[in-house]
Amino acid sequence: MKQLHRLLPFLSLIILFVALAIASPHFLTSTNLSSVVRQTAVINIMALGMTIIIISGGIDLSVGAILGMGGLLGTMAMERGYSIPMGIAIGIGAGLLCGLVNGTLITRLKIAPFIVTLGTLGIFRGLTLIISKGLPVHKVPEGFSFLGEGTVLKVPFVLWLLVACALAMHFTLEHTRLGRYAFAIGSNSAAAIYAGIPVAFHTTAVYAIGGMLTGLAGMIEASRLMTGQPTAGQGYELQAIAAVVIGGGSLHGGEGSVVGTLIGAFIMGLLSNGSDLLGVSNYVQQVVIGVVIILAVTVDELRKRRAV
Amino acid sequence: MLQLRNIQKRYGGVTALRDANLTVNGGEVHLLLGENGAGKSTLMKIVAGLVERDSGQMLWNGNEVFLKSPAEAQAIGIAMVHQESLLAPHLSVAENIFLGREDPNPFGFVARRKMAERAAQLIEQHHFPLQADWRVDRLSPAGKQLVEICRAIQHGSSLLIFDEPTSSLSGAETEEVFRIVRTLRERGMGVIYITHRLEELRAVGNRVTILRDGATVHEGELAELTTNQIISKMVGREVTAIYHRNALPAGEPLLEVRNLSVKGKLYDVSLTIRAGEIVGLAGLIGAGRTEFCRAVFGADPFDSGTIAVAGKTIQLNSPREAVATGIALITEDRQLTGLALRLPITVNTTLANVAAVSRAGVLNLGKENEVTAEYIRKLRIRAASGQQLAGRLSGGNQQKVVIAKWVFRGARVFLFDEPTRGIDVGAKVEVFELMDELARSGAAVLMVSSEMPELLQVADRILVMRQGRITGELPGRTTQEEIMHLAAVDTKI
Repeated sequence: MKQLHRLLPFLSLIILFVALAIASPHFLTSTNLSSVVRQTAVINIMALGMTIIIISGGIDLSVGAILGMGGLLGTMAMERGYSIPMGIAIGIGAGLLCGLVNGTLITRLKIAPFIVTLGTLGIFRGLTLIISKGLPVHKVPEGFSFLGEGTVLKVPFVLWLLVACALAMHFTLEHTRLGRYAFAIGSNSAAAIYAGIPVAFHTTAVYAIGGMLTGLAGMIEASRLMTGQPTAGQGYELQAIAAVVIGGGSLHGGEGSVVGTLIGAFIMGLLSNGSDLLGVSNYVQQVVIGVVIILAVTVDELRKRRAV
Repeated sequence: MLQLRNIQKRYGGVTALRDANLTVNGGEVHLLLGENGAGKSTLMKIVAGLVERDSGQMLWNGNEVFLKSPAEAQAIGIAMVHQESLLAPHLSVAENIFLGREDPNPFGFVARRKMAERAAQLIEQHHFPLQADWRVDRLSPAGKQLVEICRAIQHGSSLLIFDEPTSSLSGAETEEVFRIVRTLRERGMGVIYITHRLEELRAVGNRVTILRDGATVHEGELAELTTNQIISKMVGREVTAIYHRNALPAGEPLLEVRNLSVKGKLYDVSLTIRAGEIVGLAGLIGAGRTEFCRAVFGADPFDSGTIAVAGKTIQLNSPREAVATGIALITEDRQLTGLALRLPITVNTTLANVAAVSRAGVLNLGKENEVTAEYIRKLRIRAASGQQLAGRLSGGNQQKVVIAKWVFRGARVFLFDEPTRGIDVGAKVEVFELMDELARSGAAVLMVSSEMPELLQVADRILVMRQGRITGELPGRTTQEEIMHLAAVDTKI
């Protein structure tokens, strides 16, 4: 019974998958499946970063803006003649820097992450618009499309990337000191401080990692559009948070997993893809996703309450 | 007035109550006793409507009732005096007393002035040191407890449940609670009273019900039982509540504190603890004992004074430096500051010394499990495995995990702040034994405790604090009267 509850998100994902396969003949085509993967990869990679942030008891509302900033700076670099890998590195670096800013503000000013990142959400987005003067970057090299649209061994390149990021994040959370401290800080920050853990340092590191992954997601998004959009990523923060929460992450901190987050992101991806295939309107889609979030958290809460 | 028969309750796979029976009459104070985890809290939650029973009967004045919420329980006259945490800290005393029963006028407005007046009356009637317009977060734990009591009695209840009402109170405040409880009894109300402090029993109680492992093992008059009989019924085996430590010759000074001062809290506090010593620190609530520990641990800044460990003066900016020099603080509220309750025992055991089970930042989970298993065995922690969540352990076993954490860190100076709070009798002795083992292995141990009998049993010598100052030092074999004299004289109670 307990095991069943734990598997519930995974079962829902499979049921959703099978149901869509039956309902729509176009669903199981390789074109459609790889498009689902490409669509969800951006949110998925952001959500991986959000996972460790939420586990540490924090939240990052600025990831959508970081994604825009990373994508823009990366493509601008390429426009000015930097190589493609260099451009990607700059995009990721910009995300890392934004994360560092968030982490530093949170730990130095001792202000709630919700507030700090609500502020930086505006700051990062505003800076991105100022730098770009509100105009998208179109002049990107041909080869850049490989990042978001390329294929390796018949599998979308972004899927390989996602798998690599997921494995790295899983390892970080379960097998490194940083991951351990993230859980400890999220579960009981006072106990972590009293145990002599350098809480500020590790909290900052957690946000930096989240920012870095978001920078990468920004470059993928830019590659898919072949444009550096200063407005890219608006509203993505809520999708990333939703993925973590559907996957069993707790906004109180101390709980969450990579597998859960991936399932959460794919459930949302399939819902949106399925609605498109079945001709369900965009409006209805939003309602469905909202219901799923509440449902998932309710089921998870019931499981926990029973366990205590 | 209240009868519970064969109550059962399971949470998932865990049986909280197997066969609980309880009968409470009007005009009596009924003591509900049992070790932690015996099911006292669950049983009271059922009575107060917070939890529904799985099977069994609950009779209220002869009629079977099924309570689905605290509101339903209050409606028939049952109220619970909760721990302080259930108050709304930003609201006033009056607002808290009437929370949920604001009694608004027909337009939905709350009659603030009327509420304040009624609260003031209630407070005056009982001579509580409170004001109706005080904000609750500014109150001491004792004050908050009094607000809880007001809340429960204003409902016009006929049965009141007190869950460890005195655990955070000083001697004078405790007396006040007893007086209130006795007044309620004289008015013909029924009172169920849960306590861990065996010394308190006879001051308030008439009859007792003892729970063990979810079942009632004894019901009867309090006068017919000796304290030792009560303990053995609670634990289910013969236990000597009396522990005696054989002091050993003390070694080099390990902790030397000189003239430690924190404005308004501590004044020129000096003490030395040698290797192998257990030093007791006695005093009333608010004497500055916890503040002293926190300052030595680097958790609070101090204005002047020096702290030296093993002869070396240390600079403290945060607990990190204290931990690095081998100081450990076992806090009085282990659930808030000692343990990550939702994480397993393994994580909690290695929390202060993750470096010892990792290499270049990568954890060696196998080694961590081994280390934890070793401590579970050595400290006799009762747990299914190292993977069990710390929050699922009993109070005594949680305390052992905290101790394991510091032993694994290699701490040499142990500051125990109220080490037996919320721990049952059997486990208390085990905690004392662990403290003794620590001292024997060459550690310096400070034991802050409000339980004077415990200090007398464990400490080699006892320092007494009053109003931020050390007022005297007594040998370990002193008397409670001597301690009280130093702790309380000159204070106007």
